[in-house]
Amino acid sequence: MILSIASAAITSAVLSSSSADPIAVATLIKPAIASPELAWAGLILCFPALAAVLCAVCGAMRVKSKLPGMITAIALIAAFVTTLSLYLTCHDGATTTARTIHLFDWITFAWRGESGDWTNFLAPFTLYVDSLTLLWMLFVTGLGSLITIYATEYMEEDQGKGYVRFFGGISVFLFAMGTLVLGGNLLLLYLGWEGVGLASYLLVGYNYDRPSAVAAAKKAFIVNRVGDLGLAFGIFLIWLNYGTIEYDALFQALADTTSSAGTTAANASEWSKAAIPYLLMLGAFGKSAQFPLHVWLPDAMEGPTPVSALIHAATMVTAGVYLIARTYPLFELQPLALPVVACIGCFSALLAASIGMAQYDIKRVMAYSTISQLGYMFLGLGVGSTFGASYHVFTHAFFKALLFLCCGAIMHGMGGQLDLRKLSGLRHVKGFRVTSWTLLIGCICLSGFPFSSGFYSKDTIIGAAFASDDPLFIFLGWVAIVTAGMTAYYAFRVWFRVCCGEVLYEPDLAAHAAPTANDAHGHVAPHDSANSQGGHAAHDFHPHGPRFAINGVLLVIAVGAILAALPSYLAEFAHQQNWIQSMVTDSSAVAGAGSSAHDAHAEHANHALSFTGISDIHTATSVVASAVGILGICIAAFFHLTNRKAADRLRHALLSNALTRWLPLAMENKWYVDEIYHVVLRLPAWAIGHVLHFSDAHVIDGFLVNGTARIPLHVARVFQPLYNGALQGYASTMAGGVALISAWVFWIWLQAG
Amino acid sequence: MLPTLSYLLLLIPMIATVAILCAPSSLAKWIATIGSLATFFVAIGFAWMFPAWTDGTFAPTDATIPLLPSLGISLSFGTDSVGLLLVLMTAFLMPLCMIGSFTAVTERTKEYFAWFMALEAAMLTVFIAKDAIVFYTGYEFTLIPMYFLIAIYGGDNKRVASIKFFLYTFFGSILTLSGVIYIAAQYKIANGMWSFDLSTLTDFCSTKMSAPQQYWVFILLMAGFAVKVASFFPVHTWLPLVHDQAPTAGSVILAASLLKLGSWGVYRIALPAAPIGGVELDQIFAILCIVGILNAALICWVQNDAKKLIAYSSVSHLGFCMLGMFSLNAIGVTGSIMYMINHGLSTGALFLCIGMIYERYHTKDMDQLGGLFRRMPIWSFFMVFFTLASLGLPGLNGFIGEFLCLMGCFTAEPQSVAGYPGVLGPWYAIVAGLGLVLCAMYLLMMLGKLVWGPLREPASAAHHGGDHGHSGANPGATTHSSGGSAAQHASVTESSAQSHSALPADLNAREIGILVPLAVFCLAVGFYPKPMLDVIAPSVERLLAPYPSLVAEYVAKGTLMPRDDDGGGMASITPVQGQSTLHANSEPPLATVTTVRESVGQ
Repeated sequence: MILSIASAAITSAVLSSSSADPIAVATLIKPAIASPELAWAGLILCFPALAAVLCAVCGAMRVKSKLPGMITAIALIAAFVTTLSLYLTCHDGATTTARTIHLFDWITFAWRGESGDWTNFLAPFTLYVDSLTLLWMLFVTGLGSLITIYATEYMEEDQGKGYVRFFGGISVFLFAMGTLVLGGNLLLLYLGWEGVGLASYLLVGYNYDRPSAVAAAKKAFIVNRVGDLGLAFGIFLIWLNYGTIEYDALFQALADTTSSAGTTAANASEWSKAAIPYLLMLGAFGKSAQFPLHVWLPDAMEGPTPVSALIHAATMVTAGVYLIARTYPLFELQPLALPVVACIGCFSALLAASIGMAQYDIKRVMAYSTISQLGYMFLGLGVGSTFGASYHVFTHAFFKALLFLCCGAIMHGMGGQLDLRKLSGLRHVKGFRVTSWTLLIGCICLSGFPFSSGFYSKDTIIGAAFASDDPLFIFLGWVAIVTAGMTAYYAFRVWFRVCCGEVLYEPDLAAHAAPTANDAHGHVAPHDSANSQGGHAAHDFHPHGPRFAINGVLLVIAVGAILAALPSYLAEFAHQQNWIQSMVTDSSAVAGAGSSAHDAHAEHANHALSFTGISDIHTATSVVASAVGILGICIAAFFHLTNRKAADRLRHALLSNALTRWLPLAMENKWYVDEIYHVVLRLPAWAIGHVLHFSDAHVIDGFLVNGTARIPLHVARVFQPLYNGALQGYASTMAGGVALISAWVFWIWLQAG
Repeated sequence: MLPTLSYLLLLIPMIATVAILCAPSSLAKWIATIGSLATFFVAIGFAWMFPAWTDGTFAPTDATIPLLPSLGISLSFGTDSVGLLLVLMTAFLMPLCMIGSFTAVTERTKEYFAWFMALEAAMLTVFIAKDAIVFYTGYEFTLIPMYFLIAIYGGDNKRVASIKFFLYTFFGSILTLSGVIYIAAQYKIANGMWSFDLSTLTDFCSTKMSAPQQYWVFILLMAGFAVKVASFFPVHTWLPLVHDQAPTAGSVILAASLLKLGSWGVYRIALPAAPIGGVELDQIFAILCIVGILNAALICWVQNDAKKLIAYSSVSHLGFCMLGMFSLNAIGVTGSIMYMINHGLSTGALFLCIGMIYERYHTKDMDQLGGLFRRMPIWSFFMVFFTLASLGLPGLNGFIGEFLCLMGCFTAEPQSVAGYPGVLGPWYAIVAGLGLVLCAMYLLMMLGKLVWGPLREPASAAHHGGDHGHSGANPGATTHSSGGSAAQHASVTESSAQSHSALPADLNAREIGILVPLAVFCLAVGFYPKPMLDVIAPSVERLLAPYPSLVAEYVAKGTLMPRDDDGGGMASITPVQGQSTLHANSEPPLATVTTVRESVGQ
């Protein structure tokens, strides 16, 4: 039944979207102003690059102090300040005009085409600064600075060992992320895209002694490569169709196409235009860990926690959202593209939330929660609410970074323990108060508790889904509401388990065994720096609470997570325009057809939530979603606060029943997606590789090449007996030869005759 | 001045060869280093004075010494911007290889360095030859030094490798030579005189010879070049064996420059001489490339031997290079040339890196050796860096060529919007693009084994590592287990340190000094490829001039070969006159070729 609804919905989505006037898309994007006087904006990229170089120098000089961390922190703060001043410069009054800042030529060349439409390929190192860029850069550099400060303390056990490598990686990451966001064309975005992948590879594999970390790093890079390939092909197609990959020119070309038969290639085929958004989507889903390319993100939790917070929660994984928001006009041109984005986002949200409910490792819960929340963002993009998606990116960056940093603080102080069955009542442990309460703030925001930041951003998305009169979107909206309940459940499951109840903790013994063995080698403890607390046996384990840098950053980000709702407060109570909304609608991410359509429909009374009796669709969504969320919190409270045994009993009951067995197993085993990929993709490739290896050595080289080389030898062997020196042999050979020649002559004679 | 420099470019390595043979063997490495450095500076001077950077012509025009005027053979030198880039790359790598061989070769050093200098002279000859016979002489002469370098200084299987290398590539080049001679003979028939000038022959072949003739000429020419470049599917098997067996510097030069002789041959001779053959066979060669890419990539993934893995990766990477070339448009060919240069540097550097650990551990087996980050962080830094360059990470050099080659292939559609119609298209690029994913898989697999993970060192060679932190904590390590007494351990250390060539655990200053220029180059090109792209463009435009109309005709008619029904079948029997039927309706390519030839001024 669900399928039939979905298919009907897709059809209607096609109809409704295609009826929208595409001219509205393009005319809203104003051409950018070339602003060479803003070249100092390049410093945003120069500071992290310089920090990376200095970290390398520190590594070469074998610096053993916190200097690399300090250098990176200062560089990132400088980058943040530069971004802020860029924002203030560009933001003149109410609107922000897009600007392009040409730094230098990168891959640019031209040719003398005979009859071609396009005679050059231009990918200069140009920055494209509009309000969307600024929004992203502000939280990327801001959170980047804060998390770096946190990491200077978190990583302190590794001073002189991996410290330099860690901060070098962070600097490379910030450089790449800055290029991704600021870059003025898609190839520059691609540079940043793979650059952040590299930083992720280096930092996930930070504990290189641990094979699981190495494997996770590799997996992250390779899965992303699949997405990158899609992005690359998308870039090819965009160039083929529009002759440019620079945003500014591209948007103008789009405007021309929609208004008149303008500068697009006359002979580009229809399919090549239609495929663009799907290829870009592939890239976005790879980087943002959406189904079917989501498998790398949970494994990436092998990296140190600040990395998980910065790269795998707050910034890098939102690059996919940025890509789609940036190229939104291209998506709006294809009627099916946005519904597909919405469906995949919604499905990923549901899938990941269901896995997150059953995980015991709190970092993994957070990882699946990230996939799930990213799913919301894609749902937002898909239903035409780029504002909702970007706003959710913004709030999520704060509260998810906060949640990860809290996990890190717990891990740091608790001997690497992350299993929520082995941690309890941390609220009462000395030194963990700040962590517990900031964790609560994070959980409240994540679960979308009324009037928290997550509440506003999530409800913007769900409301946009319901505001459509499209059955598909309304269906997705219901799924999103259910997912919101699941989100609230798993978020508070963590908090109730870890922070409430009786005090109980033990260090991760497995993680402790490793450093003692490694200490003899005098090397870095492999399981985060927390392990260097190693040597504590379980019985005399003393947790140590985080100190100033960690607590300070936790508090700042917690305040940030609360204040992320400020634009909505101001919009709601002071009737100002939502700051984020104006940022998004100023940019290319403005939803032309989509948002105008849903605004029109927002007035309709016959909406899907009419049973609530509230006429305003957004309010109705908020009420329903909050109610479901609070229900989730109540269930979590029942199972994990007041009645913990019940959770185990429920699990056993489900497992013992043959009909329901699959559910907990599938959820705990991530729906076996990894296993399926292993069997369907990896094993065949591995087998083919071995077959080809064999055939290369034995068939092609051994048989064909060497066989050919042996032909002279064998030919010689055939004739060798003839030259044995025996006269009768020569005589018979001669006779045979004469007979052959005679036969040949006779045959020719016959032919001629 | 320029002719003098072009002679000097070849004379200096030759003089160095003789000097090494005459001087005492203790001086051999210094003479080779100085000789190759001097060659490099001459190459820089040549590039500095080079007048044809931006017009795609050949320079100098007057560096000609007649040898056999009656046969039209002369020692004439001159190259265009692309050839000069290859000259610069070769001359840049050679001193690094020489310095890199200081400790790797301990026996028969005199011959070793002498052969390398001879090899450099031969390779540079090919890149700057303007005469087909000179080209071919250099092309074949490279086999002799390489043969001895493998046969004397190679690994366990060096005899087989050296013989296979020699015979295989020699067999191919014989076919190439026959193709060249066939063109020359046809030229003699048509014009009554001999000429072996490359431009004359290619212009003659492309404008005056019939479609079937060009078809077969192209096959003959490609037979040698395809074997040499080793990226086409069934003719690649000699390369991994030879790389595996060759000494480090030999592998570097083999990957960086010797393979490029093949791609340079395609660029300089095969594609300009027989455009009809090129278009007609384009899809077949592209498919062979793609099969080669995927085949080699999957084989890489199951390799245990690091050097063989890089050798196979070379096959796979050059597949992209040739795919870009065969996309026959400005983007693809430009990318192809970028790939030639950048592949030389990053893969060359990878071979140097592998050589450095081979000197220390005497194994390249990734099952025995691994987790070297703990032991050799500096080496690991460079290894990761060059692997990423090889992987095509944007911001490093490998990306530009790879991206442009794939894009060229993708956009090589019949209805191209870029002015260069092609016969490949998105499907070719999509299948080849899988090679990029596989490339990440096998290169990161190599890094995961070799650089990351727990430290594993072979039992016999562990004491070459110098630093003896014992590895009891690592289950994979077979070295001195924790039971061994410390005193005994220490004495082993000292004695082994004395008896071996005193290489430290990690890289020494000399080795870092070799890798740093390469790394700087990779980064510089990755972020600022503009100068290279600018100088490549005119040369590419000259090459591609006849192609758009031929491809358009091919697309329209399905083939460029004369069909029986329009009487063109006679073309193969009456060679020179045959072109009239063929080119009757394709005037544009003739015109463009002629104008370009005039602009070349020959």
